[in-house]
Amino acid sequence: MRTIGIDIGSTTTKIAVLENDQLLYTEIVPTGYNVDKAWRELLAATLENLRLRESEIDRLVATGYGRNSVDIADRRITEIMCHAAGIVYSRPGTRSVIDIGGQDSKFIQLDADGNVADFKMNDKCAAGTGRFLEVMARALELNLEDFGRLSLVANRAVKISSMCTVFAESEVISLISRGEERENIIAGIHESIAGRVVSMMGRSGVKAPVAMTGGVARNQGIRKALEEKLKLNITVPETAQVNGAVGAAVLARKI
Amino acid sequence: MQTFAYFDSGHEFPEEIVMAAGFTPYKILGDVEAGTGAADEYLHTYFCPFARGALNQALAADDDWAGIGFAHGCDATNRHYDVWRRHLGQPFFWVNTPMKTNPTARVFHRRGLDDFRADLEKAYGVAITPEKLAAAIRQSNRIKEKMRRLAALRATRDITNPEYFEMVRTAVQEPRDRVLEYLGELEREWPARPAFPRALVPVLLTGSDVTFPGWMEVMEEAGLRVVRDDLSLGERYFHAAIPETVEPLKALVEYYALQPQPATRVPSDRRLDYLKTALWESGLNAVVSQNLKFCEPYAIDAPWIVNELKKQGIRIIHLEREYTPTLDHQALTRLETFRQLLE
Repeated sequence: MRTIGIDIGSTTTKIAVLENDQLLYTEIVPTGYNVDKAWRELLAATLENLRLRESEIDRLVATGYGRNSVDIADRRITEIMCHAAGIVYSRPGTRSVIDIGGQDSKFIQLDADGNVADFKMNDKCAAGTGRFLEVMARALELNLEDFGRLSLVANRAVKISSMCTVFAESEVISLISRGEERENIIAGIHESIAGRVVSMMGRSGVKAPVAMTGGVARNQGIRKALEEKLKLNITVPETAQVNGAVGAAVLARKI
Repeated sequence: MQTFAYFDSGHEFPEEIVMAAGFTPYKILGDVEAGTGAADEYLHTYFCPFARGALNQALAADDDWAGIGFAHGCDATNRHYDVWRRHLGQPFFWVNTPMKTNPTARVFHRRGLDDFRADLEKAYGVAITPEKLAAAIRQSNRIKEKMRRLAALRATRDITNPEYFEMVRTAVQEPRDRVLEYLGELEREWPARPAFPRALVPVLLTGSDVTFPGWMEVMEEAGLRVVRDDLSLGERYFHAAIPETVEPLKALVEYYALQPQPATRVPSDRRLDYLKTALWESGLNAVVSQNLKFCEPYAIDAPWIVNELKKQGIRIIHLEREYTPTLDHQALTRLETFRQLLE
């Protein structure tokens, strides 16, 4: 059976193709303002790269905030269920998933069978999400990769008091003008995001093994800050950023 | 019949005294489509958006209402009294209600109702006699009884969340004779509806009052059907009948003391008990709890209520929602996932 999962997030649109149990293909493109165009072009390019016709796809599941725009989907499933299915596929046995995407952060608790037992999501605010990090990286004139990496060489984490994206940006600019080291500011930003995520998770609900998915999983500084706060190791699968799409493709096999 | 508007962030305002004075009570719910622009001149934007929406509507409706009553719904909006009084032109009245339901609180409540009756009599030159009050109570009870019967149909018939909302909105805003006719029409129509749809999951809805249909539509779209609730614009309004065999104002005091308790009153145990009983009575095991952004009483109660219900094995989700007419996609995702977990 050949299935496709499409995950339309606020920042990027992801696709995953599964053939039986094998992950054949994944791709990521910016979502942009035209959600419909993003997924249609991504699907067409994927089929072309794999030399497949649409009729050779058995099922397609859409997820992410733009899922309802995928009119050809056999089913639309929320990203929480898809992220859970994705991590069970790539890291069986995982009991806790932290997913930080462009617009929201999620904590998913899995039971011993890999079913979603409970979930929590951030408040309606950009604080603690990928968008927050983008704004902070811009304020510090860094790309996201360097932003994540630099915090690892910080000698201390500067206290960032504001979690509002707008006010935190002002605070960061004040810290720069005060002569604080960039690395220390970034470490402070990571600590403050990690604190917010851990508070959302509620410590009692976190069970090991813990995995991290979503675009922000690529940020080593955030992962380290989360590990220190949780006092647990966090694994990041290679498919972290496309985990939702992989999960959608997995769930497509079951419908 | 002239309209007498009232602002009440709970179910505390004694509509029957207004009815006995010859007015149609009209609960101010604001207009989410109109926003809060005019009200934001007088109330900061970090106050309850529903309260700002209500003030916005009141500022625009200056000549339409014979008077405005203000009830002590929650502590925050209670203090909006002065803002309203200063900026609105109509005769303005205050109805104080107690935080508790003990004997002292009932004496306090009774005095508040006496004062309100006297204030109305003086302002409008009317006599609010016990007979008129008793007649108003009888009419209210007929409305509440019909609403109870209709609301019970939510569990067995295909009655959408927005339709239920519209029933309650009509009951608190339209002339009461018209409300009785309207409810009569629903009594003929709703029992003949198709059975409860299998694709939907029945839930109890608790938390801040839902004052516009948008939230009910989001829940419907997520596949969650509200079959019980404890909202002021819901079961709290029609849960009990006002006693008809005792002196009318004493009856109102008793009625308000026994209503399902909102988060604005202490202690919260009675609120939790009502939820547990409602869940047990209806065989439900799923609850959607929500608070409107900046609605502190329900936000304060939420962690405790959620944990206590979880201890009972109830599946529960708590969300903060916005005061907006547009579809809330983040809330929809959370609610859809909750439904998928329940399936």
